[in-house]
Amino acid sequence: MDDLFAPSDVSWTPVSPKLATVRRLNAAITFGLLAIAGLLLFGMLMDWLYGVLALVVAALGFGWSWIVIGRNQRSWKYAEREDELLVSHGIMFRQLVVVPYGRMQFVDVAAGPLERAFDLATVELHTATPATDAKIPGLHPDEAARLRDRLSALGQAQAWGL
Amino acid sequence: MTEPSAPPEAPEIRQAETGGARLHPLTPFVKGWGYFVVAAFAMANNEGLRSDLTIAGLGLLAVLVGGILLGALSWWFTKWQLTADAIRVDSGFLFRRTRIIRFDRIQAIDVAQPFVARLFGMAELRMDVAGGGKSDGRLSYFRYDEAVNLRAILLYRAKGEQAAEQQAPQAEPEPLLVVPTGRLLGATLLSSTVLASTAALIWLIVATTVLEFHIGLFAALPLLLGVVQPIWKQVVGNHRFTLSETHDGLRTKRGLFDLQRQTVPPGRVQGLLITEPLIWRLLGWSRVDLDIAGVVGGNGGDGEDRNDGAQLLPVGERQEVAGVLARVLPGFDLAAIEMHRAPERAKWLRPVGWRYLAYGVDEQVLVTTRGWVSRRTSIVLHHKTQSVRLQQGPLQRRLGLANVHVDTPQGPTDAVALHRDLAEAAALLEAQADRAREARRTADSPAAVHTQPKAPSPDGSSSSAASPADDSSAR
Repeated sequence: MDDLFAPSDVSWTPVSPKLATVRRLNAAITFGLLAIAGLLLFGMLMDWLYGVLALVVAALGFGWSWIVIGRNQRSWKYAEREDELLVSHGIMFRQLVVVPYGRMQFVDVAAGPLERAFDLATVELHTATPATDAKIPGLHPDEAARLRDRLSALGQAQAWGL
Repeated sequence: MTEPSAPPEAPEIRQAETGGARLHPLTPFVKGWGYFVVAAFAMANNEGLRSDLTIAGLGLLAVLVGGILLGALSWWFTKWQLTADAIRVDSGFLFRRTRIIRFDRIQAIDVAQPFVARLFGMAELRMDVAGGGKSDGRLSYFRYDEAVNLRAILLYRAKGEQAAEQQAPQAEPEPLLVVPTGRLLGATLLSSTVLASTAALIWLIVATTVLEFHIGLFAALPLLLGVVQPIWKQVVGNHRFTLSETHDGLRTKRGLFDLQRQTVPPGRVQGLLITEPLIWRLLGWSRVDLDIAGVVGGNGGDGEDRNDGAQLLPVGERQEVAGVLARVLPGFDLAAIEMHRAPERAKWLRPVGWRYLAYGVDEQVLVTTRGWVSRRTSIVLHHKTQSVRLQQGPLQRRLGLANVHVDTPQGPTDAVALHRDLAEAAALLEAQADRAREARRTADSPAAVHTQPKAPSPDGSSSSAASPADDSSAR
């Protein structure tokens, strides 16, 4: 089943496992804040028992997100075919995008502070339609730069107007 | 500057190429008439001032003079000119602004006549620029014939045909079809929005009067709007919708008060959408919308005009629709395409609509249909495909189904083969990517655009005028 979203006739490149680390850190911050807010809110307004309960719920949520993030990170992969870029990701909602290089309008390389700290960057390919969702997170900056240059070179070489 | 009374168009435009020309001197008045009316109205209605008419008169005069002065200044400092590869517009007297629109970025050019402008025989030039906002490419106002002439010049330049620019404005082409007002009205009355709003309105009236069930008549207002607004939009906006063919492409003309003209250049069509609401299907009617690069339908947000995007046919009978489709896509026959229905297990996700989910492919286009109440048939050209996506949600996964999206630039078309068998979907994805690749390679030769041999135009200059029609999407 799985290979339908990742045809085996091309070589797939996985994204860095550090993507999971960054996202887990993000989740830790979010759930941590939620836990503190829940603890204080429920604790002060109702009973500290409820506060602790909120803490447990947040902890469970974090545990769940830990697993989901790991699975999700492993699902991200991309492949460069002769004429197209393929990006596949998702466990629950799976998606495989095929974008011809010639359709590319521009390439974005973005990296947030947390991503930068872990040496990661996101490459996003834009076509004339916003529906195209060709985004590759969790790339090493060198790889991101290589991909950007390669994509823009290929995009120029195969450029096809609107 | 050009004298406003100079009769011939050609010298004016030649002048515009060298020094820069001003727009029609009545422009500020036509643009700001609403302002004057409001000012006058406010003056007349102000109780405090009504007692002392001299002050009111003076105030009104001051407003008028100020407005005229401002308008005149803005007019004086607005200049446009044609350069070698772009049209350049300078404007603003406090903050100077220069806008340069390259000819090769112009996707479509319309000549629009808002109501007041029409009274004065003036027109606005609207250039659709890929990726530009709604007002980015507007130039107003010109005399009507001047605007038409300039439009012809820009169209040729946009196609790289410098030589053809001296061609005089062509005569109004023979209409291919005119949508009768009766059918327009009938179609609007039978459209889903109007029917639903009317039903709700009737229920509301019955509920309030007979059942003494005071739900609040305030609710009637939006409902009434739901009835009146589409009728107004359709009947007034699409009044005498005329489709004709020129050598610049298909041209539409519509409107009762604001006459709208729009040209669909061949090769700019990205996709088509055929919509058939429930009752229309019984009558064999449908609507055809177009995706054109640079023209974004629906969310143009321009209220009065661009809200229909590129409408090719507001309501047409089957034969007309087929004829129009054949004009846009030669050799295309919707009926001849074999449609593949979605598997029956899709009914768990679409209890009724699954029967209408289908897709079909030929060497030129991909066709998808869906919708039970309002059936939408999307047609996407292979060589305009931006990207292809395979998608699957958790429920679909359980059923072994997946969606295939074929993305085109923004517009009404939304081609998605919903709920296909997973293996079939994956195969379709590959096949579609292959077809798009093949189409891109082969589409250099002018295919998939209508190239109609043009009858000699009335004024002898047809030899150069006919050639742009051969220019296709080729780049």
